[in-house]
Amino acid sequence: MTMTTPDQIGSVTPARRRPYGLLLVATPVLLVLWLIIWPIISAIITTLWVPTPEGSAFSIETYRFFFSDGYSLSNLSITLWTTGVCAILLLVVCLPIALYLRFSNTKVAAYVQGLAIFPMFVPSIILSFAFIRVLGPNGTVDLLFNAVGLPKIRTPYLTPWGPVIGLVWDNIPLTVLILLSGLGNVSNQAIEAARDVGAGRFALLWHIILPRISNSILVAISFAVLGIFSAFTLPYILGPAAPEMMGPFMQRTFRDLYDPQTAITQAVITFGFCIVFGLFYVRSVAKNRAA
Amino acid sequence: MSVLSIKDVSKIFPNGNVRAVDSFSLDVADGELVCLLGPSGSGKSTLLRMVGGFETPTSGVMTIDGEDITRLPPEKRPTGMVFQSHALWTHMNVFKNLAFGLKLRKVSPDEIKRRVEGVLELVGLGGYGTRGVGQLSGGQQQRVALARSLVLEPKILLLDEPFASLDQHLRERLREEVRDIQQRLKITTLFVTHGQDEALSMADRIVVMRDGRTEQIDRPDVVYREPQTPFVAGFIGTMNLVEGTVSNGIFSRAGYSTPLPVSDGPATLAIRPEALDLAAAEDGGQGKVHRVTDYGTHGLVDLDLRDNTRIKAMVSHPDLFKAGQGVTLKPRAIAAYRDNALIHRA
Repeated sequence: MTMTTPDQIGSVTPARRRPYGLLLVATPVLLVLWLIIWPIISAIITTLWVPTPEGSAFSIETYRFFFSDGYSLSNLSITLWTTGVCAILLLVVCLPIALYLRFSNTKVAAYVQGLAIFPMFVPSIILSFAFIRVLGPNGTVDLLFNAVGLPKIRTPYLTPWGPVIGLVWDNIPLTVLILLSGLGNVSNQAIEAARDVGAGRFALLWHIILPRISNSILVAISFAVLGIFSAFTLPYILGPAAPEMMGPFMQRTFRDLYDPQTAITQAVITFGFCIVFGLFYVRSVAKNRAA
Repeated sequence: MSVLSIKDVSKIFPNGNVRAVDSFSLDVADGELVCLLGPSGSGKSTLLRMVGGFETPTSGVMTIDGEDITRLPPEKRPTGMVFQSHALWTHMNVFKNLAFGLKLRKVSPDEIKRRVEGVLELVGLGGYGTRGVGQLSGGQQQRVALARSLVLEPKILLLDEPFASLDQHLRERLREEVRDIQQRLKITTLFVTHGQDEALSMADRIVVMRDGRTEQIDRPDVVYREPQTPFVAGFIGTMNLVEGTVSNGIFSRAGYSTPLPVSDGPATLAIRPEALDLAAAEDGGQGKVHRVTDYGTHGLVDLDLRDNTRIKAMVSHPDLFKAGQGVTLKPRAIAAYRDNALIHRA
């Protein structure tokens, strides 16, 4: 008869360990390195090593041009304005919807949820044309106003508010879902306990609900901002020709002006702004994990 | 004088038309601790939540110190509720959890500090103010939840199965502490539990509830010794309930019979195990021993009547009985019920 001693068992266990976990993540990690990290590094190198008659040399000329060019700066400025306004509007619009969906038990809530998630299934291009047909010149609103003898509206189409309305509508589903998942962590009894000690609706929201979902708000806003800052379709179709948001600006510089060096510089600058919001998101996820 | 008065209160939930509480009335005296006891679905938590303002009665009136509170929201009621799941706010430390209600009442910071520290001492958590809620054990969290209610000095303290999530040892210790604190502060308390031990050991009065209705309201000893319905008899403590028929003043069931001076008809005989003596029988007796369990301080004999109706008897010398043995039943105290009402007690 053979017996296994505890020592033998101990020596067998480490030998059986296989790097299955690492193998599972290896493919996506390699793809990220190849398709995301390397292009970023390559883009930064391309913008900093500019061609010269002698070959190439280190230069920050492309960045100097961007930050001294009035048109580029106004494009950056309109992008930051659109992103900021969209972030605020998304919070103002989505927080009440998420609160209603979390705390309402009526059948209406199910329909509201369906309606809030609906834009997720509508392609941006269809959304853009729907926007033009409703709010554009001679659109549905104009026709209805005309029918009751009211003057035409000042259409937001082809103004900075065009992309704002479109982008807010487009980002409502994701923002609502993230806020809703955060609100799921606020228990009914925690709310009832607050009401029991005397908290009214505002005190409840300010002292109990918002602190508990601050991480979700940060994640929702980070996601929205990342998408809006580099958005292309909606600003391209609904926005003004000048100034324009960074997405259409990059595309036009690359395709119409045949200036890839400047387009890549614009992309690196856009990436620089996005990474700040990305870091907010990463910090929030790390904080959640630690908790 | 009654502080809390509940008059003919009913609650019908719209979904399914469920009558959770049905024409319930109760007066709770100043400083009294009343336990609402009943199985799951008996309506006790719904009733407590109506007193706390978290549910609105479909009909009926509730008053505290004569003031109608039936339609008041929770934040306007002079009640303090301790929830089963503690419901502490995890983004606040212990001090802030307790101070929150006082801040809403615009109490001065010095007064808040004095009252919070005082109540933390009262619940045995002095010096825990700066601790995070997540750093506390289950028992400590429940003490904080109790302190959070007490610091506001409510007229009525509402406890909704506060010890349900704690282990047996901690539960016993905490219920003694809560009872001590309640008696020291003389605070009127409504306590919901489905644990009869808790109700019997803590309450001044017990309200036994079933299907939203009151089965019996009495002192714990009375509820235990003189249950008014077979449901109360079966729910509080261990009770042998034997259904049989009465004929000419004799109750009988499967070979067992005992005098019962009531009119002829069906009846349910109730005998506590500790009120049932057994005697060894040579001729087979009225029942046969199924199992004997020795608990050290006493023994429990499970025996079967001839139709296998199981009966329990508590004995001081379990070694005198063995499985298969025939025994004769000699009850020292009995009660009999018919149509859900007590018809005889001896």
